[in-house]
Amino acid sequence: MTKEAPDEFSRWTKEKWGSSQLPMGGTVPYHTAYAYKTGDWSAFKAIIDKEKCISCMNCYYYCPDSAIIMDDNLKAECDMAFCKGCGICSKHCPADAIEMRRVTR
Amino acid sequence: MSGVRQVVGMTGDEAVAHAVKLVNPDVVAAYPITPQTIIVERYSDFVNNGEVDTSFISVESEHSAMSACVGASLTGARVFTATASAGLALMYEILYVASGMRCPIVLAVANRAFSAPINIHGECTDQLVCRDASWVSLFGESAQEAYDETILSFKIAEHPDVMLPAMFGIEGFIVTHALERVETLSKQQVEDFIPASRIVRDRFCPDENKTFGSLVLQDYYMEIKRQQEEAMQNAFKVTKDAMQEFSELSGRKMEIIEKYQLEDADYAFVSYGATAGNAKAVVNRLRAKGEKVGALKIRLFRPFPSLDIFQALSGIKAATILDRSATFGSPGSIVQTDIASALYGKEDVPSLHGYINGLGGRVLTLPEIEEVYEMSKEYNNIGMTSTTDWVGYRK
Ligand code: SF4
Ligand code: SF4
Repeated sequence: MTKEAPDEFSRWTKEKWGSSQLPMGGTVPYHTAYAYKTGDWSAFKAIIDKEKCISCMNCYYYCPDSAIIMDDNLKAECDMAFCKGCGICSKHCPADAIEMRRVTR
Repeated sequence: MSGVRQVVGMTGDEAVAHAVKLVNPDVVAAYPITPQTIIVERYSDFVNNGEVDTSFISVESEHSAMSACVGASLTGARVFTATASAGLALMYEILYVASGMRCPIVLAVANRAFSAPINIHGECTDQLVCRDASWVSLFGESAQEAYDETILSFKIAEHPDVMLPAMFGIEGFIVTHALERVETLSKQQVEDFIPASRIVRDRFCPDENKTFGSLVLQDYYMEIKRQQEEAMQNAFKVTKDAMQEFSELSGRKMEIIEKYQLEDADYAFVSYGATAGNAKAVVNRLRAKGEKVGALKIRLFRPFPSLDIFQALSGIKAATILDRSATFGSPGSIVQTDIASALYGKEDVPSLHGYINGLGGRVLTLPEIEEVYEMSKEYNNIGMTSTTDWVGYRK
């Protein structure tokens, strides 16, 4: 699956297309939720300390946006492009490995 | 016209079911409700007997019926459903989803009064209040028109310039359950009229990476809704052309508005659905007495044929609008207010007299229609340009 938006979609958003150009009925000619970078508005981000991680995968299952990825060593990692900063992972981490840090813009 | 013209006795509901059978849609998802039930019952017989290839989805409510229709339609399927009254009201939320996602679903409405008090009989309010849902909306006067509009609706809805759902209504019991003469079409005629399968722009399937029903906020919502308005405007021409083609195919004249003895008329009845038959009968009676009166029947309600109605009523002194629908605290009856908007500011237009009548299946008899005609003339004589009355009830 591609992570990049096709040209048409980039142009649509960049050029602010109107009713005569936009695809019918708001159907997006674009990939699944995987391709939408929905984490850009979060006020917090989950910062994971891999040293502390005990690979229980609680965060992986609890994250409502599937933003947690387990790396090759089965340590949790957070995909910032999707993390909305809800803090659920942090609450459920038994090893206190996830710190919620405020995003400064 | 090709093929042999066959004449069959059918009720309005049966006529719809038989017409859908010829179309043979991919999916029918429906929930039974009086007076629509026979449509779905007959159709499930066809499915059971292997006379059609349709997937019949029995659902637990009309909300689910329309939701299933939307899902099926997005995969590119040709979809039909039918309902009435409370069922249509329960579908209301999903009506907007269907049109917003540009699903050309066809919906037969057996027009029935709303509860409360509970009543199962004919009244068109259910369909009229869906006027803003971005559905093409038609009314039929008879079982024949029900049959014809079923087939026609698929043609209009699926046209690439329209791609909007379409509903057509026939009044509960008065049309749905009355046995009438219906001229049928052959399978071949319908196949010539409607393409074998839908033209699909966006297909909801795993091989096509597309997102349907995405969240669209302030920055794009209005543009997407504007597309629907343009599609509705296109539906005028598409409907006119489709009716023309259908007329040639069937040998039955079909127009978005039907004019009856209007050419030299001073006064006119305006109606839709089954009432139009009574209006024409009253025109005959009044003509015999020397009255210069005609009748206008509205078949296409959305998009509203403003210009055609203006042209048809231009030069008429007073129009008697027979509206079998209820509205409360409104500036006029439902169809009357649309006609008033269509005629506003134009020269040479009639005074408009709306009559809310026939609610819950109440019959407005021919002599009563003659009485309201006299009322309209009197209003016009004393210079009243717009009136609305409830008629045919005990005070
Ligand atoms: S903060 Fe919320 S969204 Fe972000 S990784 Fe944790 S659970 Fe997922
Ligand atoms: S919940 Fe904590 S310990 Fe468990 S996998 Fe996630 S980061 Fe590691």
